[in-house]
Amino acid sequence: MTSADQSPVRGADVIIIGGGVAGLSTAWQLKKRGLSVLVIERQQLGNGSSGRAAGLLGQLRGTKAATKMLMDGLQVVYDLEKQTGLEIFVQTGSIRIAETEERSQEIRRLVDMGRSIRFPIVDLEIDKLQERLPYMKVDDIIDACFCPTDGHIQPAELVQAYVKAGRAEGVQYITNCRVEKILVEGGKGVGVQTAQGEFRADFIVNSTGPWSYYLADLSGTSLPTAAIGHYYLTTRPTDKVHVGKRSPAVRNRHHRIYSRPESGGLIVGMYEAEPDEYNIEDLPHDFDMSLMKAARDNYNVALLIHQAQQRFPWINERTPMTITSGIMTFTPDGKPFCGKLPDVEGLYHCAGFSGHGIVQSPAIGTIMSDLITRGETEYNISEIEADRYFELPELRDRVEVKARCADMYGRYYGQIEGQSS
Amino acid sequence: MKILVPTKRVPDTDQKIKVSSDGTGVQTNTLPFIINPFDAIALEEALRIQEGASDEVEVITVGIGNDEYEKELRAGLAMGADRAIHVSTDELLDPWNVSKVLKVIVEKEAPDLVLMGKQAVDDDSNQAGQFLAAQLDWPQATFISKIELADSKANVERETDLGIEKLSLNLPAVITADLRLNEPRYASLPNIMKAKKKPIDSIPLTDLGIEIEPKIEIISVEAPSSIRSCKKVETVDELLTLLRDEAKVL
Repeated sequence: MTSADQSPVRGADVIIIGGGVAGLSTAWQLKKRGLSVLVIERQQLGNGSSGRAAGLLGQLRGTKAATKMLMDGLQVVYDLEKQTGLEIFVQTGSIRIAETEERSQEIRRLVDMGRSIRFPIVDLEIDKLQERLPYMKVDDIIDACFCPTDGHIQPAELVQAYVKAGRAEGVQYITNCRVEKILVEGGKGVGVQTAQGEFRADFIVNSTGPWSYYLADLSGTSLPTAAIGHYYLTTRPTDKVHVGKRSPAVRNRHHRIYSRPESGGLIVGMYEAEPDEYNIEDLPHDFDMSLMKAARDNYNVALLIHQAQQRFPWINERTPMTITSGIMTFTPDGKPFCGKLPDVEGLYHCAGFSGHGIVQSPAIGTIMSDLITRGETEYNISEIEADRYFELPELRDRVEVKARCADMYGRYYGQIEGQSS
Repeated sequence: MKILVPTKRVPDTDQKIKVSSDGTGVQTNTLPFIINPFDAIALEEALRIQEGASDEVEVITVGIGNDEYEKELRAGLAMGADRAIHVSTDELLDPWNVSKVLKVIVEKEAPDLVLMGKQAVDDDSNQAGQFLAAQLDWPQATFISKIELADSKANVERETDLGIEKLSLNLPAVITADLRLNEPRYASLPNIMKAKKKPIDSIPLTDLGIEIEPKIEIISVEAPSSIRSCKKVETVDELLTLLRDEAKVL
């Protein structure tokens, strides 16, 4: 703790609202460039979606820009590991599998794209699959590819590393302090109103994840994000099934599931077609995502277990496991909003990571600080610019936004990537 | 064979608990409700007995409470219970009166075994099972971590401070479940569908023909103080002095 933590400054060059990975990464990068930075968090750092994430890092995405961002982000993570001594990234490699011809073509398109930017990919013989994943059913798989440099980021360690590195640079953190409103004067964001009074800044960053649309609303602007529920299960290791720490992650879009190793057990998560939707404005002010719990007869949990069983037949409703229940922030196209909107100067948004906040955050910190300090970035950000829907009046209607975001969540694994939809 | 599993609908005590404004209970309007975790363990055990038995075993759950209880009773049915009995009342009953209600249900259903949680996590009374056994004049075993049924007997293990105690009881009996008995399942997709059609027999408390005689009066409920004055001591002697002179615990 620095002495400033006891007597908080009443302002800074930049105020970052929300101490999840997006805000923490941005804070660290901005401070490195010499700006004074204050992070204000409603509860504890990393307590929201960041702390509930599975953290899968699959660098092979639908576009070159997205893949490059993840590849660069991994370099940032390696630097963070050196600097902090924390093990953040676990390189397990990852496998995409296909049961159908369509899914096989999807893999082939991704492989071609990946190879064109020299992303390492190994084609995998089906009989080699069983060797690598003895606990997975493989007899119906017709195609697979292996990305050896993939793996997962341990969310808690990433949060810790951002804070450790940020503190070393001199970032200030205020926790247990709810931002009630962003203060806008003459079309410019000038500060925030909190439970502990006002704080002033030249730049304000809205990195509040599921709360991002709500905070935008309160500030007189509009951000089309929505809060969508997500579940994953974590099995406990048993005598019969022990999942090795380096066992590859699996993406099985046909069954809408992903998996990765965790403490000798297996994490399996699902992007169901009809997710739970939340209205952040209806939740109590002290709502704590880490206390969310699924009922024993939750339909989407039952569906998750059912789908997990299709690929990992030893998993059923009686398997000793933990169900993790959390909230993701989705956007109508599944890509985040990074940058300013035309109606409020000085207010930057950094939210809507649609289930990929952990792995995108390392590069996003750089992009956000590029935009704030220079107004531009070397990255191709056309897909993630905050104002890409600004001119669409229908995306100011909450009902419409929620419907489109939930639909995007459902299509995330449901649709075939690379095909025009 | 018939197993009766009484369950209690409780606020999820893992959440942030606040005292209600009148100071006689906790604020429940924002709290999610769950089946008392020890009762879910009892239900799981009944389902495992059912699955392992060569004869037919019927598992019936009972709940006492208001109309909102139906949701949690459905969850029990989705886990696998055959049917549910809902004793409907808006009154909050203390353990003595809960046992009186259960006695009537037991006499009506004539189960071979009553399997329930050792206590509810809201009031932590740990009395209902014992009261029920006494009222029925049935054998009882509490805090059970293992159950085997054979030849109209229940052979059980209970964890005590001195070690594992093994008991053998004649059925019918009342057995209460401890944490380590099992890990309850989640409902499967087909069972969630089936549960929608399973019967919940609703009986008004007033139809049971018993007189509710409150034995406990709640005078006030207070939240534990979150302010703690901590002091760092340099030496063991200093600690001993403080414990003796200030805390007066030595």
